[in-house]
Amino acid sequence: MSLIDFSKSEITFKVVYYGPAMSGKTTNLSWIFRTIPEKVKGQFTSIATETERTLFFDFLPVELGTVKGFKIRLSLYTVPGQELYKLTRKSVLKSVDGIVFVADSNRDRREDNIKNLADMFKNLEDYELPDTPIIYQLNKRDTPAIMSVGELVDDLQLKGKAVYLGIASSGVSVMECLKGITHQVVSKI
Amino acid sequence: MEGQLSSLVITKEDIETIDELFSQYLVDSQAKDIILLNKSGELLAKSGAVTRESAIAVSALAAGVFSATNELAKLLGEREFTLTFHQGKETNIHISLVDPLILLAVIFDNKAPIGAIRFWAKKISGSIKPVLEKMAAGPRQEPSQDFRKGLQDEIDNLF
Repeated sequence: MSLIDFSKSEITFKVVYYGPAMSGKTTNLSWIFRTIPEKVKGQFTSIATETERTLFFDFLPVELGTVKGFKIRLSLYTVPGQELYKLTRKSVLKSVDGIVFVADSNRDRREDNIKNLADMFKNLEDYELPDTPIIYQLNKRDTPAIMSVGELVDDLQLKGKAVYLGIASSGVSVMECLKGITHQVVSKI
Repeated sequence: MEGQLSSLVITKEDIETIDELFSQYLVDSQAKDIILLNKSGELLAKSGAVTRESAIAVSALAAGVFSATNELAKLLGEREFTLTFHQGKETNIHISLVDPLILLAVIFDNKAPIGAIRFWAKKISGSIKPVLEKMAAGPRQEPSQDFRKGLQDEIDNLF
């Protein structure tokens, strides 16, 4: 649910990074946090276990700048990818404006990608948000046993959709994905 | 199905009314800070010493806590819990439901009795409801086509 605050001339959008466990969602947020200038970023809040896997969610508020007199703010969230946290994933998705689905390109994560994507669509359906803008990042393109882009596109039925090839750990396509989803969420207001 | 609003529009008048109510609340209840947020974790309004940056993070976490608590409620056969309270050595937080989409978080120290916090939280929830209803139902100030196009054109400059 975008929030349009005329008293402060601000528009806030909620963007969620969704995807299976260890696919690089938090890595995307960490890269954004490291890359953007100090003055535009808020507090990076991460609720992680001792093994540094996201337990609840990560949260990063970002102020993109002023457009037409309105400050554009993004609230960036990640969800925990592990199967156990199904309900948490659903609750973080509440009132989402846009999603970056981070898929793991490794062949042995094939089923996890498919299952997690289905879980996301089911949650969007439950929230009556079928038209939520989604872009897809096929991440970890630098690892050895990866699936081809064609295979991933077929598996996840991404033909004709916005797909980015990513290596989030070194920033490849991280900002492009953020820019892509920002365009899409803004077009929905 | 769990329906949601597509966007929430806050006007200057809404915020002025809320600010006034919040200032009075802080005096009456002796709380330190009061934060209005929605269930998706967005900060709507705040009053007290809390910085805006902290209030943004508190909103995201408070909504997360509330949402987790409600899953617990469902497991126990309740539709939802309407408030949650965390007690610390010196600082406490009381989070309560104002309407189906909006939450109120009150931060207070041990000088303020919990009974007073609860009493005044309930009272202010009642006072805020008409403002929230107005926000949800009031005439939406739709952004013009020009505004939309301008936004799209200028986004590239932000990156």
